[in-house]
Amino acid sequence: MRVASRTMQNWLLPVAALAAWETLGAAGALPRYLSTPTAILAALWEIARTGELFTALAASLYRVAAGFVLGTAGGMLAGLAAGMVPAVRHFFDPLVSFLYAIPKVAFLPVLLLLLGLGHASKIALIGFSCFFPVFIASRHAVLSVNKLFVWAAQNMGAPPRAIFFRVIIPGAAPQLFAGFRIALAHAFVVLFAAELIGSKAGLGTIISYAEEWVRFDLMFAGILCFATLGFLGDRLLLAIRWRLLKGQMLGTEELLRQ
Amino acid sequence: MSAGMIASRISSSFARWYSIPLLLLIWQAAVASGLLQSRLLPAPGTVWTALIDETGNGALIHHASVTVSRALTGFALATLAGIPFSVAMARSALVRNLFEPIFFIGYPIPKIALFPVFTYIFGIGTPSKIAFTFLECLYPIVVTCYFGFRSVQTRLIWSAQNCGAGRMTILRRVILPAAMPSIFSGLRIALPISIIVVVITEMIGDSVGLGYYITIWSTRFHFANVYAAIIVIGICGMALDQALLAVRCRAVYWQRGES
Repeated sequence: MRVASRTMQNWLLPVAALAAWETLGAAGALPRYLSTPTAILAALWEIARTGELFTALAASLYRVAAGFVLGTAGGMLAGLAAGMVPAVRHFFDPLVSFLYAIPKVAFLPVLLLLLGLGHASKIALIGFSCFFPVFIASRHAVLSVNKLFVWAAQNMGAPPRAIFFRVIIPGAAPQLFAGFRIALAHAFVVLFAAELIGSKAGLGTIISYAEEWVRFDLMFAGILCFATLGFLGDRLLLAIRWRLLKGQMLGTEELLRQ
Repeated sequence: MSAGMIASRISSSFARWYSIPLLLLIWQAAVASGLLQSRLLPAPGTVWTALIDETGNGALIHHASVTVSRALTGFALATLAGIPFSVAMARSALVRNLFEPIFFIGYPIPKIALFPVFTYIFGIGTPSKIAFTFLECLYPIVVTCYFGFRSVQTRLIWSAQNCGAGRMTILRRVILPAAMPSIFSGLRIALPISIIVVVITEMIGDSVGLGYYITIWSTRFHFANVYAAIIVIGICGMALDQALLAVRCRAVYWQRGES
């Protein structure tokens, strides 16, 4: 019974908001730019049927995936190296502490001119944005691996390779995933801004075209898809993390229902 | 302090900071030798001149003050609303059940997608930027503070009650100080987000602010000004973070030294 009432309370606000939106919108009490949920679903169905949605989705997905993988791989390599080798750490630390505070979207105009309006400029920008959170997480993760474990492994004659893959990486993994998660969130923000500012394909472009054509239902359909994509990306990352490291919840606290 | 110690300190701080001057030197040398000829990457000297000029004539200061004031207003509103709200969520089961899905399922949703809607509701000027910054900052603040308030040890509250403290006294003297480190870590996540979000939304559409400044000078192919603005954003971000750390150091005085 308690569980049932809790579930009801959980659903109360979202359902009430949707119902109010629909009824007020249908009655014409809301401004036109808010559209209505049914109209948004209809618009979603419309672009799904013409296939426009899937072209846009594929473009956005490709950009975010490629950028995320490149940036994360680079950030992890540099971060792990910085965590283990002081010289590398001293090289990257000042650069990262300065560049981290800058919104990477600021480099978008430069990248657009350098790489064009297509995929490459977005992938480069997303990769650049993902690099920093992953670098910081990896660097701290390696430095916070318990030295005793490393010493113990060395004592038992483990070669450096084994120490790296069997001691340092597993010890650093939870923090690495926390970094990946922040990077993924950055990736979607940057993707959206890049697609809205200069692009010819993708979900952000659907949204900005819909605005130009004053098709607010279509705009919300694009927003809905984009939000869902971001949400599913995060959940996919968490599922991978869950398989790889069972039980270590660092960085996913909001999923723990106390 | 002996001369040797000073020398070793200088050389160690050089070992820590050499990479920025080194890269600037390589950059300057590449441009000066003609190896790198691009309007997209002017020499550091040109960028520096642009930075000095544009700061001197007040343009950068004007745009930066707009950006920073927008970011800080949104951040401050999110702090003022978020902290009491997270206390309510931590202390009351009803509030928690009502808002948990909105904050925890909504947390990974890229909220930037909603910005076009904000421009319709609030117009494209300052109000929509502040409202959107408020939303973006609210999430990390509420989620982090909520966990801070939830993890306050119950026995601290019990012993305060035992000593006859009222509800407000417990909130003010026990719960708030105990949650203070989490509050500050939430604020420290939210503060750079506020700057990032304001710059992005200014790039999407505005007529003032550093984001606008970057867009307008890049369409005029004046990339020295663009890099100058990027440097200013970086300096603002670092300064705000340092300011927050200074406040944290005073507020969480029992944890000084750990960051």
